[in-house]
Amino acid sequence: MANVLVFAETRANTLRKVALESVTAARALADSTGGGEVHALVAGSPGIAAVAEQLGQHGADLVVVVEHAGLANFDREVVAATLAARAKSGSYRIVVVGFSAQGRDIGPRVAAKLDVPIVTDVVEASVTGGAITVKHPAYANKVIVTLEINAPLAVLSVRPGAFMVATAPHAVRTEMMAPAAEPSASKVVVKELIEGGKGKLDLGEAPVIVAGGRGLKAPENFKLAEDLAAAFGNAAVGATRAVTDEGWRPHSDQIGQTGRQVSPQLYIAVGISGAIQHLAGMRSSRTIVAINKDKDAPIFKVADYGIVGDVLEVLPVLTQAVREAKAAH
Amino acid sequence: MKIAVCIKRTPDSESRFRIAASSASIDETGLKFDIDDFASYAVEVALQLNEKQGPGETVAYAVGPDAVQETLRKAMSMGVDRAVQLKTDAVPYDGLAVAKALAAELKSGGYDLILFGKHAFDTSAGIVGTATAELLGVSCVTAATKLDIANGRGTARRELEGVAEIVEFPLPAVVTIDEGIARPRYPSLKGIMSAKKKPLETRPAQLGNVRVTVKSMALPPDRPPGRIIGEGTAAVPELVRLLQTEAKVL
Amino acid sequence: MPASKLIFIFLLAGGAGFFALNVQRLVRYMRLGHAENRTDAPLTRLKNVLTIGIGQTKIFRDPIAGAMHATIFWGFMVLTAGTIEILIQGVFTGFSYALFLPRPVFQLYAFSQDVFALLVLGAIAFAFYRRLVLHPKRLEGDKLEHTDALIILSLIGGLMVTLLLTNACQYVLDPSAIGPEKAISRGLAMAIGAVDPQPVVAARVFWWLHVLLVLAFLNYLPYSKHLHVATSLINVFFSNTSGPGQKGVMRAMDLEADVEQFGASDVEHLTWKNLLDGYSCTECGRCTAACPANITGKPLSPRKIVINTRQRLMEKGPVVTGDRMEFLHPALLHGEGDDAGATTATEVLTEHRLLDTYITEEELWACTSCRACVQECPVSIDQLDIINEMRRNLVLSESRFPEEVQPAFESLERNGSPWAFSPADRANWAEGMDIPTMAEVVARGERPDVLFWVGCMGSFDDRAKKITVAFARILKACKINFAILGQEEHCHGDPARRLGNEYLYQMLAKDTIGTLDRYEVKTIVTSCPHCFHQLGNEFPQLGGNYEVIHHSTFIERLLQDARMPLQSGEGKGLTVAYHDSCYLGRYNDIYDAPRETLRRALPVVDLIEPKRTRDRGLCCGAGGGRMFMEERVGKRINVERTEELLATGAETIAVACPFCMTMISDGVKAAQSDVPVLDIAEVVAGQLVSS
Repeated sequence: MANVLVFAETRANTLRKVALESVTAARALADSTGGGEVHALVAGSPGIAAVAEQLGQHGADLVVVVEHAGLANFDREVVAATLAARAKSGSYRIVVVGFSAQGRDIGPRVAAKLDVPIVTDVVEASVTGGAITVKHPAYANKVIVTLEINAPLAVLSVRPGAFMVATAPHAVRTEMMAPAAEPSASKVVVKELIEGGKGKLDLGEAPVIVAGGRGLKAPENFKLAEDLAAAFGNAAVGATRAVTDEGWRPHSDQIGQTGRQVSPQLYIAVGISGAIQHLAGMRSSRTIVAINKDKDAPIFKVADYGIVGDVLEVLPVLTQAVREAKAAH
Repeated sequence: MKIAVCIKRTPDSESRFRIAASSASIDETGLKFDIDDFASYAVEVALQLNEKQGPGETVAYAVGPDAVQETLRKAMSMGVDRAVQLKTDAVPYDGLAVAKALAAELKSGGYDLILFGKHAFDTSAGIVGTATAELLGVSCVTAATKLDIANGRGTARRELEGVAEIVEFPLPAVVTIDEGIARPRYPSLKGIMSAKKKPLETRPAQLGNVRVTVKSMALPPDRPPGRIIGEGTAAVPELVRLLQTEAKVL
Repeated sequence: MPASKLIFIFLLAGGAGFFALNVQRLVRYMRLGHAENRTDAPLTRLKNVLTIGIGQTKIFRDPIAGAMHATIFWGFMVLTAGTIEILIQGVFTGFSYALFLPRPVFQLYAFSQDVFALLVLGAIAFAFYRRLVLHPKRLEGDKLEHTDALIILSLIGGLMVTLLLTNACQYVLDPSAIGPEKAISRGLAMAIGAVDPQPVVAARVFWWLHVLLVLAFLNYLPYSKHLHVATSLINVFFSNTSGPGQKGVMRAMDLEADVEQFGASDVEHLTWKNLLDGYSCTECGRCTAACPANITGKPLSPRKIVINTRQRLMEKGPVVTGDRMEFLHPALLHGEGDDAGATTATEVLTEHRLLDTYITEEELWACTSCRACVQECPVSIDQLDIINEMRRNLVLSESRFPEEVQPAFESLERNGSPWAFSPADRANWAEGMDIPTMAEVVARGERPDVLFWVGCMGSFDDRAKKITVAFARILKACKINFAILGQEEHCHGDPARRLGNEYLYQMLAKDTIGTLDRYEVKTIVTSCPHCFHQLGNEFPQLGGNYEVIHHSTFIERLLQDARMPLQSGEGKGLTVAYHDSCYLGRYNDIYDAPRETLRRALPVVDLIEPKRTRDRGLCCGAGGGRMFMEERVGKRINVERTEELLATGAETIAVACPFCMTMISDGVKAAQSDVPVLDIAEVVAGQLVSS
């Protein structure tokens, strides 16, 4: 029986997907120790307590609510201090955070404040006796490392997407907690926030990339690639050297040996034959989809899924299908 | 400005990895090691800051066996003034232990700025920089894609999960560097020659208690060979299904 | 002694002395360059002087301008004998070669003088016509260059006219003085005699004019691009561009040497020969007209590289050598590009240098190292050597290069190939082909006859892998006892060397030599001309000596020896245009082997040649490390070349280089054509019986 403390990440007082995944992971860990409690800590501006019910749905027994007008935007210093204070005050076996932008910032801080070990990018975890065993993909997912943590308390930072959100309704209590530090006293001050929609997603950052080649036939057909990217919502559009050489797209969009080297979660190559120069820039992408009319094109050798066909026909249909899949989600 | 850059030695990301017989580490034969990409961005940022701001000192630190001396020399060939090796037989998987060794060393260094890569290719853990900042009690900004220092304060841009933010912070500070901030310079032969003469100190790494250990390493199941799932628009539903259920990217 | 004779001797001594002073000054500047031995293989050098120099072989690559120039050049050689006779006459009245030459020889000499004077006049007239009316593109220099050219043409014309008039007047005065072999002078004498039956004054005036023109011409040379009159034969003798030594081999470089400077950023980092090249350039522009970068609108002009080198030497030489004779400074040895505009000596030394002030980084990186410029130069100037040395400085000393080159350098360092591919995948193409690696063969206690060096393109590029497989099938079909290095092969460093990174090159090359020597490799065959050139011609600099054969030659020999089981049928009638690889052709003189291979393998092949072919072939655009750079300015070279190839109407384009394959295939795609591009090995493999 061991309790697990989990940080439930929010943005604008709304739970993020990674928060539910973290709670799911925490629930499983608590259960594996023979039924400990899951305590989820949320921090935000007044009104944040409203998310408690939702956390209960996924297995939280107690929601620790940290409400402060100064926490309308995520404050890593305050959250880390508060999470560490809470971890110290209760009897916890594990602190779970997401391996997201917020979690990456607070995990190591909490570990250092508490002087407890931390493992990040965890895809599997279990508690066996005195040790916590976790799996962690390393070397760009080319090696799976199994680690053993020998400490009474540890911080685990879980990879987004690794723990599928599960429903496990628990009767949830709430408990108010004051921030362990004054938000206005934080050393690092956010001066400006630029929301994603306004700026184009950078090729190096985008989890999904739609890249177009000469097979798109004309610059105006890149609209089809842009539509597909828009359907994903988190996608950027890239191009091959042939296309940037033609001036159809700016040189900054080029993916390949002489352009950007990318490794997104999903890479969709449309009308790209797969010259050596292009492959050198995208081969390490996690999942590769290729659409090309030439079934012998080298791109199909590196693609996980290939469709042989005219990109100008396939793209609109795929865009519609992705839109529907996203809407259903 | 006095700037420390903490760097890591990692194998090339294009390598084909094998697991060593002990199954507790990778087989290093045939692997080419070099300064980690993110660490090299950090070195470049440090050099540019000192070039822009006039006289200063840039010092590189690395925790690890003697092989890291080669990596430190590489940093010096790029223009770092001197280097310190915190010696240990192997870099532990316990990021906090590494951070403790660095913090113990950096505490008295009088650095205005301590730079790290956002994470290293091998573990992609991203622990050491932030934990070091916490141990030193200094401000910390992670994954900076832009960094300016003026009048004892820093301004950084971070681009994460579709949101960009501009942050301000006082010095001293730890900043971890994301890609895209600067292209690391390629050492000239002149730089390589002069790096051979620059000072490189070696001291034992004070790791303390290592509490995270490798139990085993394994290769993930082979990537299924690429397959053509169909022709034309008829194949789209199957593609979407595979992306949702098999690749789990939709 | 009459006063006129005294004046003449005084003028002659003064003219010769002033010329000597200038020569001594130019030699002193030239010695600012590095020392370099250029006296090896004297017989080959002499042969070059006789063919390229005196025989004017390269001048004739442009037949019309060639004939014009050769007439003037040979005329000069012949008339110089006459000039010497006239000058001696000025001191010793009555002197004549007739005094000691047998009569027929003297008559021949006298005849040649008359005829060549007229021929040269004709050529000069054509030269004027060309410059003033035709305006060939490659002669489009600036105003100063034009003035210079017109002055020189006028001087030569004047020399011929005064020579003929002097002779004519002498004949009028004394018909016995000029024999019947000088028919032209005699004809002219009739006209003069009609005007003035006793042209004593005219004879003296024309004689004096001629002598003064000779001295003026001599002393004008050091101030003009026509200095080549004095230096070109010397330059041809010392040049290495047509053997001795090997063509296109980059200069060896000692990286252990304790020096501050690697490569060249200014004239004193070049060798004296590079500087002599500057003196020898007459700005004919043939190099630039053949340059693929220049043709397609890039900022590079090989002529400018040479002119800038001379221009910078003329700026820096006087300051460094402490030359105070301001009046000697060349006003007409002008430059190309923006005027550096230095005023003070300090500025010349501290703010100016050859790189940046005169030659920009962009020009240097635009070069494809195709050697077309070197091939064209009639006086054997080596433009490429200067470019290569300046690239070395950019990379080794200043770490300046296009940013997209860095991934290539880093991949070479880490993965042993210019692309970021895992070395573990190098021999994937051979899977299931039962091709042994060197290690396997040696482990069996055997030695293969031949090592097949696959190269990085052939190992990793999907298109090039098909060439590799085709060639391997040929080797197997011919029962050649061969092996590959497999994962032990890595790049020999040639791309790094061409990109100026000698340090990386030597690291990779020495490592490769270690591997080859460990297996006691004697003979290597490769399907990549770049590997072929590097392993065969440049490895000896680092102690690696192997017999290296390009697959075109290897296959041709196999076909010749009838070792290949070919389909006996008629084969398809096929029109093929073969594209010459620079590193095969201009670097190694292999033009016939690939063509012969196609002819022998395809019985009914019809080979057609594109507009620019063989040693004039246009580069595909990939050489000199351009493969790893962006091509942002002007038309793409591969498109230009592919258009030429497609214009032949060929049904297939054949290549013999994996780099050309990529560039020409891309060009065909860009032209929205579906003409197949095949390597010669693929063509031959398609004819194998088993297929």
